[in-house]
Amino acid sequence: MIKRIFNAVDERVKLLEIYREHLSQYFVPAGLNIWYSMGAVLIVLFSIEIITGIFLLIHYVPHTKEAFESVTHISNAVPAGWLIRRVHAIGANLFVLVLFLHMFSVLIMGSYKKPREIHWFVGCIILGVTLTTCLSGYLLPWSQLSYWATTVATSFPGSIPVIGDWLVWFMRGSNPVSQETLGRFFAMHVSLIPFTILILTSIHIFVMRRTGISVPPWTDGTKKIPFFPHFVIEDLKVIYFFLAMLFIFVFFYPQISFPPDALDPADPLSTPAHIKPEWYFLANYQMLKLVPNEFLGIILQGTVAFFIFFLPLLDRKEERRVWKRPIFGTIVFLGIIAFIILTVWGHYS
Amino acid sequence: MEENTSRRNFLQKLVGGVLGATAIVFAVPFVSYLIPKKSAGGANLLTDADNKPILDRDIKEDASLVGFSKDGPTIVIRLGGKLHALSAVCTHLGCLVKWVPAEGIFFCPCHAGKFDANGANISGPPPEPLTVYKIEVDKEGKIALEKA
Repeated sequence: MIKRIFNAVDERVKLLEIYREHLSQYFVPAGLNIWYSMGAVLIVLFSIEIITGIFLLIHYVPHTKEAFESVTHISNAVPAGWLIRRVHAIGANLFVLVLFLHMFSVLIMGSYKKPREIHWFVGCIILGVTLTTCLSGYLLPWSQLSYWATTVATSFPGSIPVIGDWLVWFMRGSNPVSQETLGRFFAMHVSLIPFTILILTSIHIFVMRRTGISVPPWTDGTKKIPFFPHFVIEDLKVIYFFLAMLFIFVFFYPQISFPPDALDPADPLSTPAHIKPEWYFLANYQMLKLVPNEFLGIILQGTVAFFIFFLPLLDRKEERRVWKRPIFGTIVFLGIIAFIILTVWGHYS
Repeated sequence: MEENTSRRNFLQKLVGGVLGATAIVFAVPFVSYLIPKKSAGGANLLTDADNKPILDRDIKEDASLVGFSKDGPTIVIRLGGKLHALSAVCTHLGCLVKWVPAEGIFFCPCHAGKFDANGANISGPPPEPLTVYKIEVDKEGKIALEKA
């Protein structure tokens, strides 16, 4: 019966043709390493975030008087609510980590070079949008941590001359972080941003299919394997490794996303000591602390972001092997070391 | 042929223009929807988290109290019997300062910024002093604020 229905549909819309063209008869280079599976891991993690987010929405109340209680209710009273919330929170951290790894591998293997510049531009925008998602989602539990971390994070643009104060006011929807801020961040977090990431990811995959997948610079890419099932199995190995990591943190180290200040409801009249942003903002946070002028700090970070974004236009040489590009390799190495040092420093400062 | 091409060009521009104008017309209400409202006029009273007025007698000698005014969180201290009101928002990154009576300073717990009792930034990363308010206490003891 099912087969007959499938055949009838296939006769009309040629489903098998799509399967052959995009999966079984779609060939990718045989020498791809595990770094090439990061995109698949990101798609899986994004799907997990969407699914867990939809389930959290069933009980979450986006109002300052009820948000914290609704989140506590999800964690303590709703069956498996604690699990869904932890997977959502820790999954977001893992998503950022894998996105960093994905971009790192593209950097090292020179995969951003012609004809794949658009992949890089779209990937950078996805990173920016992802960090915005994390920031907006951070406020929603309306805990002391979320309230004050959001207050600090949304204060940074205030140092921009002329429009800074207006920008902060516009982002928050009011002077201090308030119901207006929660409403804005909630709308962004649950609808605008996931939709944007979905569109950007579709563009990313579309341009990858049009240009073809890149190969590691040390292979010639002549030997090919079918995408399904051969390469999908390689993807699955890496996907299950990261899923294992996710659940190790969910079950054994949940405090990584839920420190003590995350367990108290927000009090807009009392700032707790030692408020710090999430780990992926620590380097920016520490850098802004070190630079004596806040605006100068923002300019510095903007300059770094500018060079990273426009890298394909600045680095046009064909050579992709990193050991043949010592200046580039040194800059990347020092950049990563600086990021790690600032992150650790920001954590312990 | 040439006439067809110019006609096609004109139609392409017409379609682009119509779509662009439509987008702008639709964008105006959405953008105005996002611009926050300015707070209404009237007295700038100091209130608690439940929007109830904080009264003069609630603040003891050498003690402090943080409440809301129209400008945001505001801290009031009583020194030598006189009330002093300042913005509680640290000028560095927006955390709230606390009054430390033993040292006679305002201290920001986020990045250890310090301000003296007049709100001047004296140590740490804050780039500017705290905003100072003039205080008027009415017969009922309600505290009204005005930027000094």
